[in-house]
Amino acid sequence: MAAYDPQFPPRTEPGQAPQALLPNGLRDMLPPEAAREAALAQKLIEVMDGYGYERVKPPLVEFEEGMAGSAGTVSRRVFRLMDPVSQKMMGVRADMTMQVARIATSRLAHQRRPLRLSYAGDVLRVSGSMLSPERQFTQVGAEIIGSEAAEADAEIVVLAADALTSIGIGQNPAHALSIDLMVPPLVPLVCAAFDLDETATAEVRQALDHKDAAAMSRAAGPATDILTRLMRATGPVEDGLASLRDLALPAQAKTVLDRLSTVVDLIRGRLPDLTLTIDPVENRGFEYHTGISFSLFARGTRGELGRGGRYIAGRNGSREPAIGVTLYMDTVLRALPEAETPPRLFLPRNTPVSELARWRAEGWIVVQALEDVGSDAQGARLYRCSHIVKDGQASPTGETSE
Amino acid sequence: MTTIDMTDMAAPAVAAAREKLVMALPKGRILDEVMPFLARAGIEPEPAFFDDKSRKLRFETNEPSLDIIRVRSFDVATFLAFGAAHLAVAGNDVLMEFAYPEIYAPLDLDIGHCHLAVAAKVEVAEGDDPRLWSHVRVATKYPNITRRHFAARGVQAECVKLNGAIELAPLLGLCRRIVDLVSTGRTLRENGLVEVEHIAHITSRFAVNRAAMKTRPRDINHWIDRFEEAANGQR
Repeated sequence: MAAYDPQFPPRTEPGQAPQALLPNGLRDMLPPEAAREAALAQKLIEVMDGYGYERVKPPLVEFEEGMAGSAGTVSRRVFRLMDPVSQKMMGVRADMTMQVARIATSRLAHQRRPLRLSYAGDVLRVSGSMLSPERQFTQVGAEIIGSEAAEADAEIVVLAADALTSIGIGQNPAHALSIDLMVPPLVPLVCAAFDLDETATAEVRQALDHKDAAAMSRAAGPATDILTRLMRATGPVEDGLASLRDLALPAQAKTVLDRLSTVVDLIRGRLPDLTLTIDPVENRGFEYHTGISFSLFARGTRGELGRGGRYIAGRNGSREPAIGVTLYMDTVLRALPEAETPPRLFLPRNTPVSELARWRAEGWIVVQALEDVGSDAQGARLYRCSHIVKDGQASPTGETSE
Repeated sequence: MTTIDMTDMAAPAVAAAREKLVMALPKGRILDEVMPFLARAGIEPEPAFFDDKSRKLRFETNEPSLDIIRVRSFDVATFLAFGAAHLAVAGNDVLMEFAYPEIYAPLDLDIGHCHLAVAAKVEVAEGDDPRLWSHVRVATKYPNITRRHFAARGVQAECVKLNGAIELAPLLGLCRRIVDLVSTGRTLRENGLVEVEHIAHITSRFAVNRAAMKTRPRDINHWIDRFEEAANGQR
């Protein structure tokens, strides 16, 4: 590791714009991180391929109105710009789910349901969040459009867990993967069943967002007992569901909770050892979700690795039930150990092409000198290589390169 | 690039450090009120915690899996929100000011009672007509709460952020109003100020980090329960 050098990066002369300074939340990815992110995203996509998800690639920018969700509103996180050609407002995608939903309900509207689609790409946001300040980052995701089955809910959760496990998340038990299941419609249904007015519901919502029992009971009136029980069920899924089994819920709310229970059984059947928690009163950031939702965490890692849930795809006449998951590559990378530079083999300038090809065929990263250098060892140092050819064998230089 | 392999050597130590739960406590006034809660919850900090001369910042307790840090009250929320601390006791004022979505505050400990208020110089308060305001300048430790409070009434608040001695600001003509914590009202009176508006009642909360609650639910719920018992034991 290079020692800290106060001369570097060099200071910009007063009055000059610092060339390397990027806007907040934007950054350059360097070796080996850049290659690693691309490789991991590819691996995630391949797991999704294996479940029959077909890849789509929406454009980076599209007309603002196309980006609106089922509620007809465009996210406040969208960067907007004007299209000089059509003179219409365009948005840079801040999420890809809505784009995929648009594709499914328009261009692929004629295809048999359920539709399984996957995607990977960068998104841009007006501002980052506290825990992930990145304004541009890569998303990898999968959506099922046109199925209301509990099996679809379970498949998306299992797929997300499977994909993350395949790239090494949770290999170290200290950073175990853990999935938090939520049911955003539950609290509004309970509030409605107890005839709480809009103000009271909003206050309940706000108090529950902070798990503030005292503030919740001030606003919830007759719903206090049920909401307290729901709030206390937050935690390991088996404990939580067991504690709610005998709870006298309003009929509609009961249906929602029963569905959660069914989905948990389906997930457990496939991944018995996965850490599953429930949070029956969580809602923040899931306001547009219409059924089961979830967040993915790795123990000890700041922020969420991804989130997903049920929503309505399409608008007006073409509304369809859908569920999907989006993984955030910036956080996923943070949850994995630091990337290591792969071994690199140095070969001198005059090496025959056939020999270069032979080493590459063996899977080596082969770095050929562009000029004559002294010894191979010197060349390896210059070209940041870990190995040289000695007696026809690739052997480590024994030095750690700078 | 060098690959100094620290993973093998340090991994168990790092893992152990991560496994430990960290509780952040606020320095000062509230701490005296929090200590009985710790005792009732069965937490005994190491002796250095009570030694004012100690330079230690992180303290062990009789619970092998729990450490305590003692930081400024505003920093409690920041350590907690970023997951550097997993548990904390924090005033509702600090939680409201930052409104971090990553903090849950499940328990009201019913200690540290006071309230947040708008205060003004006596002569300003007498001749004032709030209906005419479009803009006010306010000195405060709580710029976010202040802005939200005035914005809700259609008034733009220009906040002058101070970290202490807020009551001085109107006296020296920095502004005409302040937003600050009031417990007895004595500081206000002694500085020729009068409370004109109540913003919120403040108590101390037992708070937890959201991600910690999701990934270590049993550990976190265990401490919530213990603090709840400690709080009930008091009443």
